[in-house]
Amino acid sequence: MKQLFVALVIALGATTASADYTMVVPQKPGGGTSVWAEIVAGELERFLDEDINIVHIPGARDIPGFNTFHNEMQFDDKTIMVSHGGNGVSFLQEDVDYNYADYTSIGLMNLNIIAGKNRGIDLDYGGIRFAAGSGMVPEAFAMTMLVCGPDKSVDEYVECFKDNVTWVKGMSGGERRLAFKRGELNGTRENPAAYKKHVESDDNAEVWFHHGILQADGSHADDPNYPGYQFEILFEQRWGVAPSGEFYDAYKLVKSFRDGLQKALWVRSDNPNAQRLQQALLEMSQDSQAIAVIRDKVGDYEWIIGADGNAHRDTLMTFITQTALQNLVKFNTQALGLDSVYKPQLAKDD
Amino acid sequence: MFEQVFTLLAGTLYGLVIGLIPAAGATTGLVALFSFIGIFGDPYLGVIFCMAVVAASTTGDTYTSVLLGIPGANSAAATVVDGYPLAKQGKATLAITAAVTTSTVNGIIWGLLTFTLLPWYTNLIMILGIPELWAFTILALATVGFVSNRWWFRSLCAIAIGLFIGAIGVDPNTNADRFTFGWQYLGDGVQLITLVAGLFAIPEMLEGFTRGQLATHRPQNNTSQTKQGILEVWRYKWDALRGGFIGAFVGMLPGLGGAMSDWMSYGATVAAHPDKKFSTGEIVGVIGPEGSNNAQKATSMIPTVLFGIPGASFAAVLMALFMYLGFELGTPDLVYDTRFFSSLTFGFMWATVIVGVFCLVFTPYISRIAYVPYKYYFPVLLAFIVWSCVQYTGGWEDYVMLALCSVLGILAKKFKFSRAALLVSFILAQRVENLTRQLVSLYNIETLITRPIFVIVILASVALLLYGVLNKNKLEYS
Repeated sequence: MKQLFVALVIALGATTASADYTMVVPQKPGGGTSVWAEIVAGELERFLDEDINIVHIPGARDIPGFNTFHNEMQFDDKTIMVSHGGNGVSFLQEDVDYNYADYTSIGLMNLNIIAGKNRGIDLDYGGIRFAAGSGMVPEAFAMTMLVCGPDKSVDEYVECFKDNVTWVKGMSGGERRLAFKRGELNGTRENPAAYKKHVESDDNAEVWFHHGILQADGSHADDPNYPGYQFEILFEQRWGVAPSGEFYDAYKLVKSFRDGLQKALWVRSDNPNAQRLQQALLEMSQDSQAIAVIRDKVGDYEWIIGADGNAHRDTLMTFITQTALQNLVKFNTQALGLDSVYKPQLAKDD
Repeated sequence: MFEQVFTLLAGTLYGLVIGLIPAAGATTGLVALFSFIGIFGDPYLGVIFCMAVVAASTTGDTYTSVLLGIPGANSAAATVVDGYPLAKQGKATLAITAAVTTSTVNGIIWGLLTFTLLPWYTNLIMILGIPELWAFTILALATVGFVSNRWWFRSLCAIAIGLFIGAIGVDPNTNADRFTFGWQYLGDGVQLITLVAGLFAIPEMLEGFTRGQLATHRPQNNTSQTKQGILEVWRYKWDALRGGFIGAFVGMLPGLGGAMSDWMSYGATVAAHPDKKFSTGEIVGVIGPEGSNNAQKATSMIPTVLFGIPGASFAAVLMALFMYLGFELGTPDLVYDTRFFSSLTFGFMWATVIVGVFCLVFTPYISRIAYVPYKYYFPVLLAFIVWSCVQYTGGWEDYVMLALCSVLGILAKKFKFSRAALLVSFILAQRVENLTRQLVSLYNIETLITRPIFVIVILASVALLLYGVLNKNKLEYS
């Protein structure tokens, strides 16, 4: 028994490392956000002059890690949360504990997502085969509106989606890319860095649409790398009017929370170290060597730091209305088959 | 050149040590690398190190499978079935030598084929669509008949339990938690390494510890066993090569999962030798599955490098490490990076050779651990196993899950429910479900019957399943 105890103590000791700061990642090692966190933490340490220990708290849809931060770990002044766009989508449509309104932003990356399609086919008339997943909800909204047009009820959009889109479930990111290359899927989507590598280099693929880049005033701007392919522009070209209405509001809500919070660092709202962390991140973002390392490995994205990050989050929060949330959940459950939850407490009144 | 050689040796040594730790295979070794992968100033050195770890750990994990009856890794679990009885008979050196020789030969053959021809494999994988991948997964599932034991009802229960545990996590249809009983930790499913440790490692260790058991009481003539082990590989060369072929093929299929290949090879070996009494210490029962794991590691790099789809769990971690080093696998332009490919080849091939030679020389000495009573190394083994299993979150939940899986393993062993069948079902559960969803979304029966590979593999699966179920030569191993 004594030997057993010693063995367990050794095993426990081997898994514990000491560091000044703790960065909580809601994924196991090897996930995209885990790699991002490893790289950013490695660079940030130099400007913070303290060590950062990465703690992985994986779980379904990367929710348990963020919940654990919210309920327990945020009260430690030296704990930083790393979140990604999927957490933003889950915040809107799932029963989660965390709430962005409760935290101070250290910094975040705001980016665009690009949808590609097989070259030469016009998916705006239906026959779409696309990989499913909760992270694909904004694409589902966008393609539904492009195919089905303006001035429809959510019920009509649901039916139109079912008639025109084969929503293929159970695919990982790599499988999606391969199925797209083989032509089993005729549409796909990637972040800008991955799009360049996986879709742009494919002779049989071309841009379909992108969601645009969220601006400080809450609007979305065209992406200079793919000018003219923003959803709003394409919709107006096809249907003669700008997209609007309740369904569009739900789309704007979900795309903004996913893309506008693609990678983000948070601490408790009254964390005394927040300013120091923001300053270190600012210095890191201005250091060409550090940014070059991050750019080479995870792509070249704009950093929004400190007060600007909080303002960005506040802008996102203004998109949450009762109607937008209800429509998001309705489309998720009825069209996409997702187990979404309507959370009235999140929303302001319309 | 000095830097490359030094990195290779360091990676090989590290991989070998990881391989010797029960339950900790290539995946665990690679996960632990995250804490120091940044030390490589030249990212190509990092590639060499990682590949050396993969190759060396895969060969090294044979030791605990044979000597202690504890799988050195997921992909060495099938080696236990006949390897451990051989050790009990005083033939540990024979079993390990045969295993290492088979692993090394197949590692070299399939490593060379993979890394030399890798850029040209794109066309091959492109003709295997979702229907073919689904059919191959069904074929893999059909092998469960061969790894079940002679208590057929209990085997059936074990399969059902494996499928159920495999279904724990997120429902791919609704994206909601399934069978998690409100425990968030289960939302990401049961981790393979924990299940393997609980099913195989803990029950064997506990038995050895409580009985004060020695692996063998017989004196071993280790030198003659080394020679005999090599000769046995030559005698069963077709089994070794078939194991390599199966491992290579399974590794090449995107996302099928490497832990499957050794059980498929074992099943094929059982089917090929109806006259033999497997699970009692047949050397061909070691040679068959051991042929597959190094070959599978090599060819797993095909879907991983070319398409960014991990061919096995270790490959998923490898992808992340390479991304950290600045190489995004699945990116078309990586195919043209000759230095990257030469680093992959150099690390994997030379580590395979070095470890092979090292093991052949030192196995007679290492095998003497079989004379040492369990009680002297039980705490160390337990510490290593616990360490391997808590690499997932490091939280108390990892310990609880290991305890639960251990209870399952102990009960399955005691009441003779096939642990092998349970593991195979677990591994394939999610894959079968996801591919079935993809298949029915995109294809119908009219389009499927026009695909010859699909039709042939499905017919083969049905035949294999029937043969496996009706096969009288069932394992005693549970």
